[in-house]
Amino acid sequence: MCDFAALWADVVKIFPVLGGVNQAAAAVSAGPVDEKVFENVRHHLTMFGGIDTFAALVDLEIQSSIRKVLVPKFWKHFHGLVPPELQSGFSDQALAIEALPDKNRLFTQFIEAVNELHEGFQNLMQVKPRLIQLIGNAERPALRTVKLMQEDGIKNCMRDCLLAQLPPTFSVVVGAFYWVHFKLFTKASHLALTTVDSDVFDELLCVGCNFDVEQCCCQKLTEMVNKTNTRLFEMNLTDRLTGSALTALIRLKIKEHINDTCMGIFDRSHLKQLETWLSDVIMSWLANIFSEWKAKDCMSEDDAPAPVQSFKVKLTYYMYETFAQSVIGQFFSIIIDYPDSIPAIDDLKICMEKIDMRIYLTESLRSSLEARILHPGVNTMDILTGYVAAIKAIRHLDNTGVILEMVTAPIKDYLRKRNDTVRRVVTGLTEEGPTDLSEELAKGEAIKDGKDSGADEFSNWENWEPDPFGIDASVMQYNSSRKMRSADIISMVVDIYGSKELFMTEYRNLMADRLLSQLDFNSEKEIRNLELLKIRFGESLLHSCEVMLKDVTDSKRINAHIHGESNRPENQQFDISSLIVSAQFWPSFNKESLQLPEEIETEFKKYTKAYEAYKGNRTLNWRTVTGRVNIEIEIGDRTMEMVVSPTLAVIIYHFQDKSEWTLEDLSAITKVPQSALRRRLSFWQNHGLISETTPGLFTLLEKESEEKSQFEEMSLAEADEEDLESAMASASDQREEELQVFWSYIVGMLTNLDSMPIDRIHQMLKLFASHSGGVEFTQDELKHFLQRKVREHKLIFSGGVYQLAK
Amino acid sequence: MAQNISPEQSGGAGAGGTKHSDDSLPVKDNHAVSKRLHKELMNLMMANEKGISAFPDGENIFKWVGTIAGPLNTVYAGQTYRLSLDFPNSYPYAAPVVKFLTSCFHPNVDLQGAICLDILKDKWSALYDVRTILLSIQSLLGEPNNESPLNAQAAMMWNDQKEYKKYLDVFYEKHKDT
Repeated sequence: MCDFAALWADVVKIFPVLGGVNQAAAAVSAGPVDEKVFENVRHHLTMFGGIDTFAALVDLEIQSSIRKVLVPKFWKHFHGLVPPELQSGFSDQALAIEALPDKNRLFTQFIEAVNELHEGFQNLMQVKPRLIQLIGNAERPALRTVKLMQEDGIKNCMRDCLLAQLPPTFSVVVGAFYWVHFKLFTKASHLALTTVDSDVFDELLCVGCNFDVEQCCCQKLTEMVNKTNTRLFEMNLTDRLTGSALTALIRLKIKEHINDTCMGIFDRSHLKQLETWLSDVIMSWLANIFSEWKAKDCMSEDDAPAPVQSFKVKLTYYMYETFAQSVIGQFFSIIIDYPDSIPAIDDLKICMEKIDMRIYLTESLRSSLEARILHPGVNTMDILTGYVAAIKAIRHLDNTGVILEMVTAPIKDYLRKRNDTVRRVVTGLTEEGPTDLSEELAKGEAIKDGKDSGADEFSNWENWEPDPFGIDASVMQYNSSRKMRSADIISMVVDIYGSKELFMTEYRNLMADRLLSQLDFNSEKEIRNLELLKIRFGESLLHSCEVMLKDVTDSKRINAHIHGESNRPENQQFDISSLIVSAQFWPSFNKESLQLPEEIETEFKKYTKAYEAYKGNRTLNWRTVTGRVNIEIEIGDRTMEMVVSPTLAVIIYHFQDKSEWTLEDLSAITKVPQSALRRRLSFWQNHGLISETTPGLFTLLEKESEEKSQFEEMSLAEADEEDLESAMASASDQREEELQVFWSYIVGMLTNLDSMPIDRIHQMLKLFASHSGGVEFTQDELKHFLQRKVREHKLIFSGGVYQLAK
Repeated sequence: MAQNISPEQSGGAGAGGTKHSDDSLPVKDNHAVSKRLHKELMNLMMANEKGISAFPDGENIFKWVGTIAGPLNTVYAGQTYRLSLDFPNSYPYAAPVVKFLTSCFHPNVDLQGAICLDILKDKWSALYDVRTILLSIQSLLGEPNNESPLNAQAAMMWNDQKEYKKYLDVFYEKHKDT
């Protein structure tokens, strides 16, 4: 009754998709179909009453063609394009995109694939209007269940299928596509950047398309890309398929951009420029992708599509994060560059308000400080400079001082271990020329604020603010008060050692050294420094320093008086200028001794007499080791003039009567220990005046020896070294003295009370001996000390008690 | 020179007869006294004098133990004696009570250790201190005052130094660890 074959042919004409998967029907565009054919098919279908079934059949067929033909074909384009080593091992998509060797090929491949997919999609989309035409009435309820009749039914179906078969490398391909796209898009801004070398620009490849500039195909490529974008958008695939790859790519670009524009430049702010860049370049690019292609100029911020808006929030956050990380990573350099780097710190401050990075900051800074300055290869002075810069920079960043305290704790710990720290600080404070510390000292006033804030904390409680959060509480030491944290830089530096007293003692020692070594010192400067220090540390601690300075000026006056014509001692052989020090106020001198030759001693006695006559009731105790002697040596045909230390002068003096001395004899007559004497003698040996002919025997060399020249250089260094030797007792010597006091008490104790256990000795010392020195003494230290005495056979330790050795 | 002599003079002799009445003296506050004793201790320790020594016997700075060595070239040479020193609250305006802890065979020391020495009694002055007390006692060993003996036997034997020495050595050996 009817021709099924003819009817099927008609049906296939209308719906090529029904023609079977093998014919690659999806790709075949359906030709125009006569209304007659529709009539025919509709008629037959109505006759069989199978319109609904038929619609379902078409639906199924479309789905299967999408699943079996379109999608696999689409994916096949990318098969084998991505090198296998890139397929795995890259956890970060952005890295993989960056590492891709042949982005342009992937780019074209992608475009082709999308075009093909789009074509198939177009064909499938024809099905819907035809079905409606066939059925004549779209409102049939049965048709509602058919997927393709629903809104976006085919699109969704296609997207589902695509995602179901998504190969893992695909995002890389998409990345490559957008990479090229981005390059094209930013070509304009690139050009702007490279205008400087526009004359060489001609020979360069076009930055957009990598072809020679003459045959630049950017325009063409851009069109292609735009078309592809439009197609993807039409198929509603943009977000799903490309979203993650896009994000990764943009992150990469942001990172690159930050590295390119901000790396190592701290003297201007970058945030504004970055934000402009983000909205101008990235955002407009994204808008370009996500909206149907429009002319660029008719696009504005407001009508940017929703996905772009959400992207913007995400990317802004990401940009801040990346930027902050980059700044923090370079924070050590920023510290060193301070105050030139203030803009960078301000930027970081803004970032920290937006995102929480405190822990990261402190961790990173601590480790970079440790790696950069806290190791034996760095000068203490440099560490101090770093410390001061860190204090300034971090305080600028966070004025509560919490970060500062956490970050600088390791520096403090480390500096405490260096034994020259105090000395360096003092030198830094008082040295000629501008150093951080001396500038700080000159400011002087800062301490006032630091002092006041302590009281403020209580009187001004309404303005109290909690410590910033985001700090690891376990790292934080709570014993430090707010006042401490806001102390000024000098206090922070002095605080390394925990006590002003120790610092001041060292200052006194250094000053004594300076005064003794430079007899023509700059008293004005010293007095100025002293005044500044007094403002800071109070008068009482610096009283003895004042006396020392006064001693020096007094000495000058006394010298002038004694040298005055009327008082000049008779038969004077040489001039003596004395520095008269009040022993009470100067640090204790080291215990070196030196016996002057008789003739010289007489001169000194004369001077003493003159002094006694002048000052009445007072006399002088000469410290023969310290001082400077101008000597002139005539030997053979040579004369030498030099300034040496008294010991050296006395040694060579003795050689003028007797040209050969054994070490023992010389030591006996000068009262200098042999080891020290030998060291001193080497000075004259280096000058070629004395040689050690046989071990322990030193002979004067009348004639200039050959060796002399080669020693010359050395001797200079040697003499310098001599200068550097401190006349003052070192800290450990002083400690030893204190211990000696305790030892007297211990002896007294054990003499009268026979034998005692250590804790009782310690208790007794605390009770009775602490008045004398004011020095504390731990039980461990005592144990150490007592054990030493046991080794020296001064004490016997048995049965847990100590007693004196008989 | 102001000399504060204890108004209650005990007659210079009598073993248990020494009585101190601190109440009759202007009682200084303890702090000043202990401060002075601390200072004396420091001086003593720093002077590090041979042959005499003293140190507080425990936490109480008012009770000291002293040690003296017998003076050279006397029969007491080579022997050491322990003493106790009790400082009154009115020290240094009143003398400390000094006693031998080690039994001492001596004309002016009784067998309980009490000492008959003028500077500890009527001749006491605030200028004396632990060091001078100990030095005085040390020299008393070599130069006893036989006029007012506390130990009559010793006073009698004193003239024969050889015999005295023999007896003393035996006595010392017997009692030195007490």
